[in-house]
Amino acid sequence: MALTDSPAESGDIADSESKIVVDSLSKRYEVRGESVTALDDVSFEVADGEFLCIVGPSGCGKTTLFRTIAGLESPSEGSVYVDDERVTEPGIDRGMVFQNYALFPWRTVRGNIRFGLDRPTCECPDCEQRVQELVDLVGLSGFEDAYPKELSGGMKQRVGIARALAVDPDVLLMDEPFGSLDPNTRDTLHGELLDIWRATNKTILFVTHEVEEAVTLADRILVMAADPGRVDDVVDVSLDRPRQRTDIEFVEYVSDIRERLGQ
Amino acid sequence: MSLGTATDGDDETSALDLFDDSSPLRLGRGAVGLIAFLVVWWAGAQVTTPSYLLPGPIASATAFVDLFTESTPVAVPLVGNVAIPVGLFKLGQSLLHYIPGLLLGATGGIALGVTMGWSGQIDDYLTPVVRILRPIPPLAWVVFAILWFGIHHTGAAFIVFVGAFWINFYGAYSGVEGVSTDYTEVASSLGVETDWQMIRLVMLPAAAPSVLTAFRTSIGRCWMIVVGAELFGAPGVGYEIINASNNLAVDTSVAYMLVISLVYVGMDVSFRTFERRVLAWR
Repeated sequence: MALTDSPAESGDIADSESKIVVDSLSKRYEVRGESVTALDDVSFEVADGEFLCIVGPSGCGKTTLFRTIAGLESPSEGSVYVDDERVTEPGIDRGMVFQNYALFPWRTVRGNIRFGLDRPTCECPDCEQRVQELVDLVGLSGFEDAYPKELSGGMKQRVGIARALAVDPDVLLMDEPFGSLDPNTRDTLHGELLDIWRATNKTILFVTHEVEEAVTLADRILVMAADPGRVDDVVDVSLDRPRQRTDIEFVEYVSDIRERLGQ
Repeated sequence: MSLGTATDGDDETSALDLFDDSSPLRLGRGAVGLIAFLVVWWAGAQVTTPSYLLPGPIASATAFVDLFTESTPVAVPLVGNVAIPVGLFKLGQSLLHYIPGLLLGATGGIALGVTMGWSGQIDDYLTPVVRILRPIPPLAWVVFAILWFGIHHTGAAFIVFVGAFWINFYGAYSGVEGVSTDYTEVASSLGVETDWQMIRLVMLPAAAPSVLTAFRTSIGRCWMIVVGAELFGAPGVGYEIINASNNLAVDTSVAYMLVISLVYVGMDVSFRTFERRVLAWR
């Protein structure tokens, strides 16, 4: 551990080499006077540059976990650290990609990607060129001036990814990003996402309920269980990429995890 | 299809879509309807006695033409007396309270609506006050318009202001309240930190359809209020409607009614064109 300076505020700095540290995280909601436990004592770490998938049945708290890491919700107990700093609010170190794209409909493709570059918090010497590089990266050349309503689902999510990448976050948080897409488009985007991941060295945290999708993408898979939401197992996926869904080993990973999930 | 049905189906408070769907069939039917209306009006006027109870279309059209051919001397500062067509002069008087009232009311209403839609705390404080004040018909404020400003341009503008204020307030308020949290969440992950940035970059553009629809509604509503205010004596087109009928020149009243109709249609069509351009992303 290379932490020589003493932390300014004790407890605010986790001493770790991991990119993301989730430490004893619990989340309880009050629903009509009754306490519901969405997350119960969840702990795990994500290494720098790792591709981690989170799978679990509905109600296992994976979206709550995602939103807490994003800084959109505060934990009842425990903490999330990114780069040893406690997460308290959203920030440009964590890009977000949503299932419903959440593109700004009043902005063109270019305008959406550019959104994060217009803040004073971000300095880029040549924003135009950066936007164009991102447009090319996600394969949307020729659609720069199109509005979201004119795009297919797959194209929208490409914009969503490029927009998140624009401010060059270290971490990409993706909440079922391909959940609304047809299988062919999804396969294409899996390949593209892995290419982008390799090209940019981002740490990716990818929430999904599709086991096959998780095995296709992840270095490691966090398997969650419901009632209360907790980590059930962590699976290392030691398969070379690109992965074939018909491979014996691939199928074994999938059936093992499905068994865990009780599917 | 009835006249009031919007054919593009994308907005609720549309004026008549006479200019949008211009298929020959629709235009033809419109012409038939218009001619039938004129014939019924003409026939009705023929059989009505005394004739001033219902001036016919020809008398009204003549009075309308007179409004723009007969001039009245108007004292213009630095220039002296200038001859201006009566109709234009009266319309100008109405616009002198209509436009400031509309613009100030819309600005104030949008500002308050955005503020309350954005800040839950301010919303908590002001909602009861808004609940009490908003239902009061703008013309009910005529008492204070007279007491505070006198029933001239300023007083009439005040009443128009009240009308425009609440329509635009509600459009902005509901527009901002209805903005999906997805947008604000994404924006905050992309570096938007201050309230003002969030309002400018996310809330206003996302709420624009609702804000613009409300403004367009207020364009029409404020003409009603203008006429109402002028019935109490403020100068302008509405006042002339009453004034002419008091002199039994009811055809001139009809001509002024027509002036209001044409001005409103012109403003509405222009604004819709503008709106469509601004909201091309929808």
